[in-house]
Amino acid sequence: MVERKKGLVIAAVVIVALALVPLFTGREYVFSILCMLFLYVTLSQSWNILGGYTGQINVGQAAFFGMGALVARLLWVAGAPFYLSILAGGLSSVILAIIIGLPALKLRGHYFAIGTLAVATIAQITVGNILPGISFLPAQQMATYSLIPRYYVFLIIMAAALAAIYITVNSRVGLGMEATRDDEEAAQMVGVNTFKYKMIAFVISSFFAGLAGGGFAYFNASYYWYLPFTLMWCFEPILIVFIGGVGSFLGPVIGSVCYVLLKELFALTLGEANLLIFGIVFILTILFFPKGIIGLPAKLRQLFYRRGNVVGR
Amino acid sequence: MQSRRFTLVMAAVAFIFFSFVSVAAIAQEAPKSIKIGASISLTGRFAAGGIDVADGYKLAVKHVNDKGGILVKQFNKKIPVELIIYDDESDPSKTVTRLEKLNAEKVVAYLGEFASDMNIAGLGIAEKNKIPWVGVTIAVENVFNQGFKYIFGPNMFSFMEVAAFLDALDKIPESQRPKKIANFELQVDWGKECTKYLHEYAKKRGYTIALEKKFAPDTKDFSSMIMAAKSEGCDAVFAVPTPPQSMALIKQMKELDYAPKATCFVRGPDLSNFWQVMGKDANYIMTSGEWTPDMPYPGNKQLVADYRKLNPNKLMGMPVGNGYSAFQVLADAISRAEKLDRDSIRQALTTTNIVTVKGKVTFDKRGVGNVPHVLAQWQNGELVVIVSPDYKTAPVLVATPWSKRK
Repeated sequence: MVERKKGLVIAAVVIVALALVPLFTGREYVFSILCMLFLYVTLSQSWNILGGYTGQINVGQAAFFGMGALVARLLWVAGAPFYLSILAGGLSSVILAIIIGLPALKLRGHYFAIGTLAVATIAQITVGNILPGISFLPAQQMATYSLIPRYYVFLIIMAAALAAIYITVNSRVGLGMEATRDDEEAAQMVGVNTFKYKMIAFVISSFFAGLAGGGFAYFNASYYWYLPFTLMWCFEPILIVFIGGVGSFLGPVIGSVCYVLLKELFALTLGEANLLIFGIVFILTILFFPKGIIGLPAKLRQLFYRRGNVVGR
Repeated sequence: MQSRRFTLVMAAVAFIFFSFVSVAAIAQEAPKSIKIGASISLTGRFAAGGIDVADGYKLAVKHVNDKGGILVKQFNKKIPVELIIYDDESDPSKTVTRLEKLNAEKVVAYLGEFASDMNIAGLGIAEKNKIPWVGVTIAVENVFNQGFKYIFGPNMFSFMEVAAFLDALDKIPESQRPKKIANFELQVDWGKECTKYLHEYAKKRGYTIALEKKFAPDTKDFSSMIMAAKSEGCDAVFAVPTPPQSMALIKQMKELDYAPKATCFVRGPDLSNFWQVMGKDANYIMTSGEWTPDMPYPGNKQLVADYRKLNPNKLMGMPVGNGYSAFQVLADAISRAEKLDRDSIRQALTTTNIVTVKGKVTFDKRGVGNVPHVLAQWQNGELVVIVSPDYKTAPVLVATPWSKRK
């Protein structure tokens, strides 16, 4: 309990410190990188509640991210306030999740994963065909574009996602999700309504993926409409969660920091070689640290403990 | 006492005066380099074109720096160019952060990228940051109808590509000339623009659009489109596929034994690795000939010779020359701007009138480049120009059936 309080205080201090960043720097590069970091934390955390805590591997996160971006951009460019547009983006993703979730969550294992991937692919092709053009910001909005409000939007979305997911996974609902993940049939046997928990996780996941998409739409000055639906947005959150640690609260945060900041550093200093290095690091992480970076201290402790025993003998 | 006070006042005045003089002197000191930035796909799915563009930029910068740099009147001296290129990994989100990084490094201008996805993400950032952006291969005219002020495209646009294709058909002797065109429309705004102009120009020039089929940017199977064109008797095909799609289309046309007299894929066959990948199947394919190694414009011979010295085993793709030309346009504007500030460079770009390695370049009020309309065709391993308004070109070869090709 004390540990949990300490963690909450640290989280609050970090969020407040991040909120104060614009007071200390006006460098747009810093804001753009931090915006990407917050986006990936939100997106990977949203994947984690369904994939990591509930055991439902969603390979179609791009559909929900893209839906949020599409609705938010359309409303915002049409004149709606950006915060309402982003919220509408999140809610539209929830509606999509309910429509898809009702049949898809009855599927298990690989079938659910394949089903969600199919949804993402259909969404990408459909949007690409219906809206083949470019979404530009109107000249008036372009003239007043500033990264600082975008920075706060991403920060608020991320903080909201972290808070909501933390509260959920530490509640009875979270227990139901973990029971579903660990053994769905056993959970059903003892009276856990696994479908309900899967649906709750899916709705929360898609809501925050949609909000992240709304943030993307608010952030980018110009892009092809289909861009937020590309499969990159399906695989990157999974990659991040696996790097950080699946089914842990801090895993996606640590994974995002590695993925965004370290990758940026590698890209700027090592050039094209960074992809190779990052690929090798990812493979090694999966092979030797299946619990991700978050599991690293425990793994090291285990190694030292074993070695200590051997020496002791 | 009074004289002491006077001395103190004079000392203070002298101090302030010399402080101002030294500050002014510092302000007039020339920078060590002119920083120009580009975010390019050096890895990922657009790397082939991105590397070509980067090669063109690097060579152009080398040629300018070999002569001491660009003359900047503000400092009355030549200043070398420092080209900063970051790899965006063919990911538009990374284009945004890389361009912000370049902004933080105080580049005076951006150079464009090979692929549209990245260009579209990038030009918004350029406009937001009020940094002049000189593109290389941005063929969508619609981009320039948004009222942007900092975006310049010194390259061929959709309407020029369509016109050049019809010019090529016109050059074919009447008895062999194709009349029925199949338009395979890529479902992006570039494809839609081409369709619009193809309808408009074909009607005026006596050609029929006998078939129109749409396809998405990630389509891999074109067999139904090809069979429809074949059964409709279309003897010419026009499309702007992605580079991998252009290769897939030709392979599938061969498999289905469909060999129209004229096939024009604006994107893909213009890349340096196209002949290496496709071999003789690339013969007769028409493509953008915006720049080719045999163009007679000043500086082109040196570009080709130096590139071949650096890359002896590599064919030169169109984006190399386009990249080179884009830098020439920018360097000319910086020189005419007389100052190293972004707005002066933008202003100078609007009055561009320069003959580059690919011909004369000017801009209209929107930033749309007015460049020679050129089309090229693969003829026995060489990409030769078949349409140009400026010089005599090779004849257009009519494709023979697949079964008769050696």
